[in-house]
Amino acid sequence: MFFHNFKYSLKTLFRNKMLIFWTFAFPIILGTLFNMAFQDIEKNEKLDLIDIAIIDNDYLKNNPLFQETFQVLGEENGEEQLFRIQYVEEAEARELLSKNEITGYLVLEGINHPKVVVNHNGINETVFQSVVEEIIDIQEILKNVSGKWIQDNIPDLTQDINSGIENFDSWYTVIYQDIMKMLDEENIRIQDTSSDHLSYTMIEYYTLIAMTCLYGGILGMSAINQCLANMSSNGKRVSVSPISKGKLILSSALASYVTQLFGLLLLFLYTILVIHVDYGTNLPLVILLSLVGTLSGLSLGVLIASVIKSNENTKVGIMISFTMLGCVLSGMMGITMKYVVDKNIPIVNKLNPVNMITDGFYSLYYYDTFHRYYFNVISLLAFSFLLIGISAFCLRRQKYDSI
Amino acid sequence: MTVFKTFLKVLKSCKGTIILYSAILIFFAVFNTTSGDNTTNFVAEKPDVFIINQGEREGITKNLIQYFEENANIIDIKNEENAIRDALFYRDINYIIYIPENFREDFLDHKNPTIEVKSTGDYMASLADMMLERYLKLANIYHETFASEEEIIENLNKTLSEKLEVEVTSKLDTDHLTQIANYYNFANYSLLAGCVFVICMVLFSFGRDVVRKRTIISSMNYKKYNRKLLLSNGLFAVSLWAFYVLVSFFLFGSSLFTIHTIFYLINSLIFTFCALSIAFLIGNLVHNREAINGIVNVVALGSSFLCGAFVPTEYLPDFVLKIAHVLPSYWYINTNERLKTMEVFNFENLKPIFLNMGVVILFILLFVVMMNFISGKMRKTNS
Repeated sequence: MFFHNFKYSLKTLFRNKMLIFWTFAFPIILGTLFNMAFQDIEKNEKLDLIDIAIIDNDYLKNNPLFQETFQVLGEENGEEQLFRIQYVEEAEARELLSKNEITGYLVLEGINHPKVVVNHNGINETVFQSVVEEIIDIQEILKNVSGKWIQDNIPDLTQDINSGIENFDSWYTVIYQDIMKMLDEENIRIQDTSSDHLSYTMIEYYTLIAMTCLYGGILGMSAINQCLANMSSNGKRVSVSPISKGKLILSSALASYVTQLFGLLLLFLYTILVIHVDYGTNLPLVILLSLVGTLSGLSLGVLIASVIKSNENTKVGIMISFTMLGCVLSGMMGITMKYVVDKNIPIVNKLNPVNMITDGFYSLYYYDTFHRYYFNVISLLAFSFLLIGISAFCLRRQKYDSI
Repeated sequence: MTVFKTFLKVLKSCKGTIILYSAILIFFAVFNTTSGDNTTNFVAEKPDVFIINQGEREGITKNLIQYFEENANIIDIKNEENAIRDALFYRDINYIIYIPENFREDFLDHKNPTIEVKSTGDYMASLADMMLERYLKLANIYHETFASEEEIIENLNKTLSEKLEVEVTSKLDTDHLTQIANYYNFANYSLLAGCVFVICMVLFSFGRDVVRKRTIISSMNYKKYNRKLLLSNGLFAVSLWAFYVLVSFFLFGSSLFTIHTIFYLINSLIFTFCALSIAFLIGNLVHNREAINGIVNVVALGSSFLCGAFVPTEYLPDFVLKIAHVLPSYWYINTNERLKTMEVFNFENLKPIFLNMGVVILFILLFVVMMNFISGKMRKTNS
């Protein structure tokens, strides 16, 4: 009888088009939308070439430092290219700026008087400003270093002047070349030890998996409703049959668990093969987390079905609202939310099953150790067994004299 | 009145959903409202940096930290490995600098110590990287020339404090305008979802066989009946729009008293009518109460994701934007985006905006024609 009920529950679930839409198709549609919207977002946050203009006037022609530096930074396909530069008249530059075609322009208004004109504050504007400031640095270094150099070499200098050799210019050239050499040497040592796994959009897909796990609870709810005398005529018929209730409920729950897992498998295959979501390298742990996550969804569905005495629509409404609230808190509508909650009110997300699943995947993706992962798995198990326990307590010995 | 009363009854049963869509919009707007002071002076962007100093805060180390304190936001989080890792992942910090224990001694001994960093690799991190490189380069050069640490620091600070003259041309309050544009972009979702859901529910309730048959045999002229139904739905859509406009005034206050606002309002009103026509089309096509919810979500979420209501259009891939051209939301959002940076309101600048509005109106006409065609066909097959 166990298998009989299991088989028919499975058939009923797979034939319910609405249920299949929400638990199978909707997450895949949402995943596709996420993918279309988010695939370039991280790429666009990387420093790109900045469009600028430089006013081509006499001061620029007489300033090799500015000329050469921007030549290097603007060289097309050059190794150090940072800008796309147009050399124009000031009127034209203003025109370009007003059309937002350039970030800003540089104008030399005197021998040592550069000025940058921009439309508004912003990151590109700041990069442009700091590059020009670095060039000013070089002028400043030249001033300070040559001052010190002259001070140190006063005896030689007086000697040179006495002997009638006026080679200030050649000295200046030597210092200039020395400094430029030092700047070119790149002798600073900065070692970048960032992890490769820094793609925060992954969290969106993890919340999607978590949402699917919990939405699956609707399947469990629907299957249990078919066994409850107060919910459906089917339930009434089943209740008067001489089969133990435990067997009935268990087989229905198992059928919905299998259906849920099937839907989740489809979503996994889609996200891995089409969207290329990175779940880390530990496949057995990904499977374990999915099994436990699905169980938590099922237990929530069973709990709502058995504890709340209301019609099916209300029960589905409660299930969806609970899941969506959980999704928002775990970062589906903007990952900052998850971080803010994790940091400031950690207890909320420690009790939120959607976050337990999301955080489990996050720790597999980003962390090298498994403490956080196992903490989430154990939390999910505790959550599931608590809910199943309460449901069992509510369902046992339910009897109707008349209904 | 009978029609309108029944309409209100159905509307009442949908109030939960309308409240939900509106709450999402308001939540998003409040979450997105950062207090940006608008200044006409240039203010450099500051990356969020976390510094872990393993040595003593003395001499050159102290000066390096001070330089970052002045030019970056030093983020205060627990100095705990996991907290720092999470902060970097969620972009709470862009850049972490680990100053080694013997940094000062090694630097003064010309050993050129290595500084370890962790970065998110985005714009802000690149900026922090530029700052650190600049500091270390200068420090090395001055160290070649000057012997004492004081002299190095003094010259370093003098050089670093040299500021460039930056002129800001735009007098536009871009921060606020961006927030307003984002609000109206997001309203794309709430308006679409709200209108489509409610109107589909209304049409479904009025179109149920029992109700329909009862209406047909009643003495009320069917033209009058249709007109009242249309008016009630239109009234609902316009009220929803007016409510969102009211909320925007409540949220943004005086920054809405500009010429931009008039265009934001006209644009969103036209789009509301468009949402109304989409809702009528779907309501005529779908006669299954359970399917309505699914369709509302797919239509509203789909066009909001693809057209830039949730993710700014500049971050969307080109092919997505090309696909989005076939959806009215794209033209609606494009107008909001153009308004955001518009300084001079003349015919030349407003041309693309009128064009966008025209396209949305064409969409409305298209949906109305389609709706008439379909409902006509359906009536024939039913009879």
